[in-house]
Amino acid sequence: MTDIPVPDSDISNIAGRSLWQDAWLRLRRNRAAVVSAMVLVALALAGIFGPMLSQHPYDRIYPQYVRAPASLEAYPRADDIVPAFERAVTRTRVEAGEIEVDGQTVRVPISSDEPIDPRITRYIDRSDLFFNARIEALSADELSGELVASVNRVKFYFGTDANGRDVMARTFIGIRISLAIGLLASMMALVLGVTYGALAGYLGGRVDNVMMRVVDILYSLPFIFFVILLVVFFGRSFVLIFIAIGMTEWLDMARIVRGQTLTIKRQEYVEAAQAMGVSSWGILRRHVIPNTLGPVIVFVTLLVPKAILLESLLSFLGLGVQEPLTSLGMLISDGAANMRGAPWLLIFPAATLTAILFALNFLGDGLRDALDPKDR
Amino acid sequence: MLGYVLRRLAGAIPTVFIIVTIAFFMIRLAPGGPFDLERPLDPLIMENINRAYNLDKPLWQQYFLYLGNLAQGDLGPSFTRRDFSVVDLFRTGLPVSIQLGGTALAIALVVGAFLGALAALRQNTWVDYMVVGTATLGITIPTFVIAPVLSLFFGVMMGWLPAGGWGGGRWQYLVLPVATLALPQIAIIARLTRGATIEALRSNHVRTARAYGLPSYVVVGVHALRAAILPVVSYLGPTAAALLTGSVVVETIFGIPGIGRYFVQGALGRDYTLVMGTVIVIAMFVILFNLIVDILYAVLDPRVRYD
Amino acid sequence: MAEETILAVRDLHVEFQTNDGMVNAVKGIDLDVRRGETVAIVGESGSGKSQTTMAIMGLLASNGRARGSATYRGQELVGLPERQLNRIRGKKITMIFQEPMTSLDPLYRIGRQIAEPLRYHARMSGKAARARVIELLDLVGIPNPAERVDAYPHELSGGQRQRVMIAMALANDPDMLIADEPTTALDVTIQAQILALLADLQKKLGMAIVFITHDLGIVKRFADRVYVMRSGEVVETGDTQKLFDAPEHPYTQMLLAAEPTGRKDAVPSDAPILLEGRDVEVVFSTGGSWFGKANGEIRAVDGISVALRAGQTIGIVGESGSGKSTLGRALLRLMPGDGTFRFEGMDISHADKRAMRPLRKRLQLVFQDPFGSLSPRMTVGQVVTEGLKVHEPSLKAKERDRRAIEVLEEVGLDPSMRNRYPHEFSGGQRQRIAIARAMILKPQVVVLDEPTSALDRSVQKQIVDLLRDLQKAHGLSYLFISHDLAVVRAMADYIIVMRRGQIVEEGPTETIFDNPAQPYTQALMAAAIDGTPFRRTDIEN
Repeated sequence: MTDIPVPDSDISNIAGRSLWQDAWLRLRRNRAAVVSAMVLVALALAGIFGPMLSQHPYDRIYPQYVRAPASLEAYPRADDIVPAFERAVTRTRVEAGEIEVDGQTVRVPISSDEPIDPRITRYIDRSDLFFNARIEALSADELSGELVASVNRVKFYFGTDANGRDVMARTFIGIRISLAIGLLASMMALVLGVTYGALAGYLGGRVDNVMMRVVDILYSLPFIFFVILLVVFFGRSFVLIFIAIGMTEWLDMARIVRGQTLTIKRQEYVEAAQAMGVSSWGILRRHVIPNTLGPVIVFVTLLVPKAILLESLLSFLGLGVQEPLTSLGMLISDGAANMRGAPWLLIFPAATLTAILFALNFLGDGLRDALDPKDR
Repeated sequence: MLGYVLRRLAGAIPTVFIIVTIAFFMIRLAPGGPFDLERPLDPLIMENINRAYNLDKPLWQQYFLYLGNLAQGDLGPSFTRRDFSVVDLFRTGLPVSIQLGGTALAIALVVGAFLGALAALRQNTWVDYMVVGTATLGITIPTFVIAPVLSLFFGVMMGWLPAGGWGGGRWQYLVLPVATLALPQIAIIARLTRGATIEALRSNHVRTARAYGLPSYVVVGVHALRAAILPVVSYLGPTAAALLTGSVVVETIFGIPGIGRYFVQGALGRDYTLVMGTVIVIAMFVILFNLIVDILYAVLDPRVRYD
Repeated sequence: MAEETILAVRDLHVEFQTNDGMVNAVKGIDLDVRRGETVAIVGESGSGKSQTTMAIMGLLASNGRARGSATYRGQELVGLPERQLNRIRGKKITMIFQEPMTSLDPLYRIGRQIAEPLRYHARMSGKAARARVIELLDLVGIPNPAERVDAYPHELSGGQRQRVMIAMALANDPDMLIADEPTTALDVTIQAQILALLADLQKKLGMAIVFITHDLGIVKRFADRVYVMRSGEVVETGDTQKLFDAPEHPYTQMLLAAEPTGRKDAVPSDAPILLEGRDVEVVFSTGGSWFGKANGEIRAVDGISVALRAGQTIGIVGESGSGKSTLGRALLRLMPGDGTFRFEGMDISHADKRAMRPLRKRLQLVFQDPFGSLSPRMTVGQVVTEGLKVHEPSLKAKERDRRAIEVLEEVGLDPSMRNRYPHEFSGGQRQRIAIARAMILKPQVVVLDEPTSALDRSVQKQIVDLLRDLQKAHGLSYLFISHDLAVVRAMADYIIVMRRGQIVEEGPTETIFDNPAQPYTQALMAAAIDGTPFRRTDIEN
């Protein structure tokens, strides 16, 4: 007997738990979704801040390190430095001891019969590997000392590509571009689809029929038709690519929103609002839109990976963003071409893309379960 | 039913007409032309070529010329593949794409539906988690990753299968491209079937079947799965159209002479007739398969009736 | 009655594992069914009465678990493997369900579905099974059984589908038939027919019936013994006659007293007419395609005149599809309809949305479904004050809040709950919220569209009392739409009986109930009012 009214003790506010809060709680209990969300946040941060923090700009070319394999060790490796330094030291015609590599510096004890000429450092600096060569701990008779030079050692955790660019920096920028295109294209599909679908559903009747017929016709056109044409029309720019993808992906959204609107329009709470004389706009704003949001949010989470894949496909076809800018799709198609000699070119971008798509899919599933609990 | 089919086919004509019109003017308004080369051709030669292909006429005249030829089943000559008409190209390419896509579709349907139903019947067991996890992976790995990996591993490293080529459609040549095409579809169909089966198993009429002590193979096979297959059928319409008209990725990577590459190549090379032909073929496949799906639906679900 | 016990339930528990922890639906009940008797399990929603039988039949949802014992002729059913259970269910114990619309598989012909238990239990050949199915369909009163055997479920009416379910249940001459609210989803006259059929078949075939229901009226006329359940426990049990005459448990007493009582006096005949509709017609077109014209039309309301006087309650009675709800909405000008409409003498036949807006404040509507009529993403406070924003836009937020508190108190809700969301309330509380939403605007006319139909009896009574109090306090006029004659009798002083969009009969409540003139009205009364024995009527078409 829950129907017996509670005596009013004080007319304070007992806060309720809205459906959104309920969904949020359910989502937080879904471990796969939570992990996915964290992975996405981490990858998004890598996309945003990675290029700034990275040791190498994504478009910097290192001609000496073309297709360097992924490695935790710095380039050039110690094994490469010693012989090179040896060769340079030989040219100075002084007696050299054992060469020692220590981080960014190389040192070797030297000695000579004559006083050491400090200008011998030029021989070292002449090599493109070493700079800032100097003589330290010169003995008072200037016959022995230590020859020290700096080496520019860089690390390529993901290796370098065929042009000698750091794959990690390029993957970061690729994440940034792919996520941005995915999000922006989905937002565009969202705005177009929700407006179109809600309008068709709310107006109903003949207008609805015609509007949905248009959608049907657009469905029959090959989906990359617009994309390719737009890209062909206006060239390969970032903005254009997400617009093009958004333009092809709004059709499903329009259908979903229309279906939702039609259902909600028949709900009694909408009729109750009409009976109270609430205006059409008020009904749309207060009743229809908030109640379509659930399925729309779920659909958007599944739309983002779709848009990212579509962008990758365009890149694969050579219609993606312009070099030296890159996206995960471009990196992957690049990697696929160099798969046999340089597998790291494929592995890192492909793993990143898969992680993003996997996380988005699990998050979408989790959101659907959270927002529509009877579907379990 | 026959009347309905005829009416639907008649109704498709204006749709195709609208699509042809949109596509024609869009591709024509794109900058560039089929004979733009790095080094511009001699203006005189250019003029001759343009005249030969009717490109010198006003656009609306070309449009009507095209419609006239189309009505007679003539899609015009290809601009980039000299000596071939677009119809010739489809005559050789379409069977290849259909064979490839059809095989992939059949495999995807059988395997996907089986896995999905299995996962649903073993819901929340390791079988279910395996299927769902693998299916999600299958959806997320792009075909242009799967294709080269398969080709490299089975073709180049193991040498078990040809790494590419068509070989007249012999089965060895089919395996890898079919697998590439089928894998993501298996994943999607498995997920769809799983969801629909779980829902069907919870429905009241399945409860009735269980309450009447019917053996579980009847409860599942007769009552649950038939209801569960309906959403899969509606998914198959557009998918079948897409698979049978070829995949640009798979055909490019495996070097298969299907029609999947024509659209992209045609659009980039401004091969107007080839692009138009591809658009028309794809649109017709979409319309045809939507019709087939609707008919199948009526066969499977007696509540759906077309008078 | 020394018949042997065929079903013995001892200390049965049913638990469900949910997100919010363990829910105990059935908490250790005992229950016996003897051969050939009719046992009723009565309870309101959530009492665990359905889950008890689901547990016995091994049909619990996957998150449910049964403990305890339920033996059928000595055979333990709880925890019995599916294969062995299948030798009993569908053969010895059969079941019919509340939802005739979805309990049959929509994809197969009814003949095949009825034949399935025959083929798997009795190992009948296809041909023999078909002959038996036709026989069964005839037995349950399906006309033209040889033809209807090939029909699909969607080609049958709700009553016919329930008959098909009964045929399926009888197919193997069961020992026991469990009927889980078999008539709740049906119209009253159909309900009466189905109950008469069950009583009739039991006499002929001699099986025991376990009848699960919330409707005490049915129990009284139908059952030999009664178990009264409340939140998972049996609170009282006994012979029907004894239980109805001298209920011992307070809950049983409350249930028996829950039938709405009281009568409303007629208003003086010179009371001013507030809302009037003359020759109202509402026509729906069906099946129209785009640009095409409609290929059919339904006259939902077909030339009806109504005049509602100040302080009056008109009851509009009819079965589903009679057009009674459509009439209510047409009178409020929420649905396009032809005819002459007046409000306080002002002609509103051609008033558009804008012209109607100021009047909306005084013409309100309360719906049947307390779950569908409140926007799920708005707080109760927002729901209740939405109308104020339209009609008294000058009110400050604080003032609106004060009004909300006032009106929530008036409908018997704790105002401190106003920041909660509708899904956090029970059905009865939600209906109170819906009433508050209408009352805050201080209306003169309220159309009540089946406001109590979705509620348990005991809650129904509270809502009826509330509506009556509000009417007295504010001098409201009600248009009370319902199929529930007991409620209408308690609420209305004038009654209109509708069928297929037309008025069958109208008049003061007393007259309609005591001396119905039309056969249809008589049949309705017979089906709905206690004390009349069941008889086959000829109403179903």
